[in-house]
Amino acid sequence: MASTAEMPAAEGPKMNEQVDLTTIPVSPNGDGPDASTDNDIKTIFHDKDNFNVKHPLQNKWTLWYTKPPSGKGDNWNDLLKEVITFDSVEEFWGVQNNVAAVSKLPQKADYHLFKAGVRPEWEDAQNKHGGKWSYQFKRPHSVNIDEIWLHVMLAAIGETLEDVEDGEIMGVVVNVRKALFRIGVWTRTIGKSIPGRGDGDVAGGKGRSPDKAKKILLDIGQRFKSLLDLGPGELVEFSGHTDSAHSGSSRAKAKFTV
Amino acid sequence: KPVEPPQPSAALQSLKSARFLSVMEQNIYPPGISSPNPAVNAAVAKKGKTFKYDAQFLLQFQKVFTEQPSVEFLQQVKSLIGDTDGSR
Repeated sequence: MASTAEMPAAEGPKMNEQVDLTTIPVSPNGDGPDASTDNDIKTIFHDKDNFNVKHPLQNKWTLWYTKPPSGKGDNWNDLLKEVITFDSVEEFWGVQNNVAAVSKLPQKADYHLFKAGVRPEWEDAQNKHGGKWSYQFKRPHSVNIDEIWLHVMLAAIGETLEDVEDGEIMGVVVNVRKALFRIGVWTRTIGKSIPGRGDGDVAGGKGRSPDKAKKILLDIGQRFKSLLDLGPGELVEFSGHTDSAHSGSSRAKAKFTV
Repeated sequence: KPVEPPQPSAALQSLKSARFLSVMEQNIYPPGISSPNPAVNAAVAKKGKTFKYDAQFLLQFQKVFTEQPSVEFLQQVKSLIGDTDGSR
């Protein structure tokens, strides 16, 4: 069996041989081995196999998957699976192009795309005072859920669901259920201040007036709704997580609608 | 005979070694590719710290980066999600 470890450093790898990757010089800055290209900006659109810059996301995002329960006695924690965390546009597409489409998921499965460090659960410290905008597609066969979910994810990672200082968006979710798809956007607050969030004009801070806090949530609702391609008269509803928890279902009375 | 470990694709190697763009640049794209819509970044005060991307911009990558994001990804997804249609 040939060993690559003895390869003389001066001799370049032959094109038809696999090379130990640790022998390929890569500088910490990520510039290619050829020093003369240091200032060349080569995007993925110039050469999809040999690019040297990538597009940062404002936040790191984690994709989660909820497996359908196997039968009885499943623990939610065993069903909720962290798939991958990413922080570039390029990597998002690598993920998106290699996971099952929503339309191919079994019933009772979910995808959750949340900011890294936030678990997609009501109980997470950053979610427990918050809520969600959500909409149920009750005729799953008449809707292109893959396209809609894609656009909801793009709005999340592209940061177009909220304004820069709003600080509300925690994640987005799609639920596959019997005879429906539900799609949602989770927010940090329900428009009220949160213990420990301080006096500043931040989501949950005392310095943000109730009117402003409500307007921010309504704006998010409008932007979310515009992605869903709904007919006139269709309503997207906002509800607090604790209200949902207490009502014993995800169908708590809506706090706001747009 | 030992099984060769899977090798990262050229695209994945580029992804790992590429540096992040630090400012939103308008003029770095080849012909036919649109830069991020300046309108969505108009209100962004902290240049170089905040990035907003419109969907039209992001969709341009859809057919360009199609490799799995890590060498083990498809195997991991298969064990997590089960064998749906995720393996292409």
